[in-house]
Amino acid sequence: MAASSADIEVFAGAPAAEPPRPRVLLVGSALASGAAAMVVLTLVAVYARMRADVIASGQRWLPEDVNVQLSPGNMGMVTLLMSAVTVAWAVYSLRNDDRVHAYLAFGLSILLGVAYIPTVAYGWQQLGVGITSSTQALLIFTITGLHVAMTGVGLAFLAVMAFRALGGQLTGRAAEGASAAALYWFVTVAVYGVVWYAITITK
Amino acid sequence: MTVTEAPRDVVEAPAGPALSAPPTGLAAVVGSGDPRTVGRLFIGTSLLFLLMAGVVAILVGFERVDLSGFEVLDSDIVRQLFTLQSIAAVFLGVLPLLIGLATAVVPLQVGASTVAFPRASAAAYWTFLASGGVVLAAYALDGGPFGGDAEAVSLFVAAFIALLVALAVATVSVVTTVLTLRAPGMTLRRTPLFSWSMVVGGTVWLLTLPVLAAVMLLVYLDLQYGQQFLGGSDGVYDRIAWVFWQPTLYVVAVPALGIVADIVPVFAHRRHHRHAAAMGLIGLFGALSFGAWAQIGFSVDGQSNPTDWLYDGVWIAVGFLALLPVVGLLGLWAATLARGRVRLGTPLILALFAGLLIGGGVAAGAVTVIEEVDVVTTTWASGQELLVVAGTLVAAAAGLAFWAPKLYGKLLPDGLVRLGATLLALGAGVAAVAYGVAGLYDQPRAIAASLDGVSEIDTVETLNLVAAVGLVAAVVGGLAIVAALAAPVRRRTVADDPWDGHTLEWATSSPPPVGNFAAVPEVTSEAPLYDARYAGASAGPAESTEAPA
Repeated sequence: MAASSADIEVFAGAPAAEPPRPRVLLVGSALASGAAAMVVLTLVAVYARMRADVIASGQRWLPEDVNVQLSPGNMGMVTLLMSAVTVAWAVYSLRNDDRVHAYLAFGLSILLGVAYIPTVAYGWQQLGVGITSSTQALLIFTITGLHVAMTGVGLAFLAVMAFRALGGQLTGRAAEGASAAALYWFVTVAVYGVVWYAITITK
Repeated sequence: MTVTEAPRDVVEAPAGPALSAPPTGLAAVVGSGDPRTVGRLFIGTSLLFLLMAGVVAILVGFERVDLSGFEVLDSDIVRQLFTLQSIAAVFLGVLPLLIGLATAVVPLQVGASTVAFPRASAAAYWTFLASGGVVLAAYALDGGPFGGDAEAVSLFVAAFIALLVALAVATVSVVTTVLTLRAPGMTLRRTPLFSWSMVVGGTVWLLTLPVLAAVMLLVYLDLQYGQQFLGGSDGVYDRIAWVFWQPTLYVVAVPALGIVADIVPVFAHRRHHRHAAAMGLIGLFGALSFGAWAQIGFSVDGQSNPTDWLYDGVWIAVGFLALLPVVGLLGLWAATLARGRVRLGTPLILALFAGLLIGGGVAAGAVTVIEEVDVVTTTWASGQELLVVAGTLVAAAAGLAFWAPKLYGKLLPDGLVRLGATLLALGAGVAAVAYGVAGLYDQPRAIAASLDGVSEIDTVETLNLVAAVGLVAAVVGGLAIVAALAAPVRRRTVADDPWDGHTLEWATSSPPPVGNFAAVPEVTSEAPLYDARYAGASAGPAESTEAPA
């Protein structure tokens, strides 16, 4: 049924619709994520460059005593990829006012994120050398350790947004906060993809 | 049920407990997230650091006057001070000065009530202050690059990383403000050029500072565990120095171009000639200034330092291409002034000085990339660095003089600022030219390097004396600018728009109230106040040649 002119007149005095909220947290998180990614990627670049130089000179890159195993790296990659799916699920649920699924997805995301850290620690244990043993070991410990720190920040960000969701702040701004945390998390996972390829796969 | 309606502004607040009075004095400063307060703190602190850097540069300058030995200071101290002058000038001085100016001015320019993350900006300032203090303390404890105390060197590196994080956080706040909190109608195309330059420069800073932080983290861990890359503190400065080389050096000057571009049209009483082109040129200059790829590489043996980018095609191309946007902007400013009705105010004079200094610095950079000239490791590069940094400082001084009514609620003493900035510009210019010519005589940039290749030692020493005197003049000029900022207010009130400004910051009172604007203004062009001033008139003082935005 078409609206009559009287119907329209009812809304004539109503306040204008609120302008769309500026995506402050999302944009700020995007900038911060980019900066954080640059820190880890710089070290990966140093690793790749030094590796290329050493191999070009006809030498072996990783010393005999350095043992980079596939399993911990692959497990870490799979764990983080799964967490990326659950984080996307959390944001989708929040946007659709599906609290139960949002809580479940946030919980799983944090669980998977926390589970990634022991895989890295196990990888360090399996490496068989300490941080002072060689340049290569120093680089591997630094890069993976820095990525664990980046993951820790992401977990804290997700936890804050999860608690805000638990508190019932499912307004537009809270949903934006969840999107911001998800963006940071996706960047964290993508950066690990680069780290995983550079260290675990190519060694 | 009877419903009564009343306008919101006449509804009385419900009775309740009285709100506590807002903090005053030190508590108001320490606990403030007000962008104007935080911005002024950044500005004041960075100016003090800059004066210290200037004094250090003078000491190093006079040390070069007699090349037969170290007469003024001990050789170890000279090497440390040589690194401190650049580190303090850029990371404790120029960058925080620009961030402070932007934190205070950008929200006003884009019609926002505050910066995007006021608490983060405040936290960034206090982190900057603390880490900057620790950086200097580490130097005092024989730390810093070339330092003899290993723990103090590690302390320097850790504090330097914290400093970089603080600068990055403050930058995120400023850039986010421009990207998300613009007034209705203010598209990116209509963004004032200083705010736009902060988006460009800030983005490149956010791509550059983390690279430096990552390298410094590696240096820190290396110093702590094994010293495999560097072999101690002697290699630390090489990992920082790429910031003072082109093209990365140019990144500090990007916001300076924006400041000049905002001042020129106001004093020409005309819109900026081809505003969109100016935005594009600033963006191009910013893109070309990303130079994290041009730094000394690491090697497993810690001995060889790969610099295969030197005189490589990309590095040469960037050296020449960087001239294009600067020359283009100088041309646009000349066209704006030529077609306008120029009032030769102090901010304009300083802005023009700044444009010429930065232009000179970028032109010197184009010479640097010519392999046959072979000046990249000489004081020619020091002169280039001096031109770019001093040009940026003079632009910042122009910005301080221009936006003083909004920052401090007063106009700065005209004569003192003009004298100070002129001394700063001319002194730095003379020093840069002297170092540049000495570089042509093969004087090495590093102060402790061998002088075997230097020809005409007497001439070089004379040039070094001229440079040292120029640096003294520049520092005296800097002191005059600080004195102008600290000078008491002569008049009780300052006009809201004393310059007939074009952009939104001039639509509010001087100083601005809490929240900046009583009502969020609607923006219809890149120069809304210019439009409003001449709306309805048959012709403004100079008709725009551009189509409406």
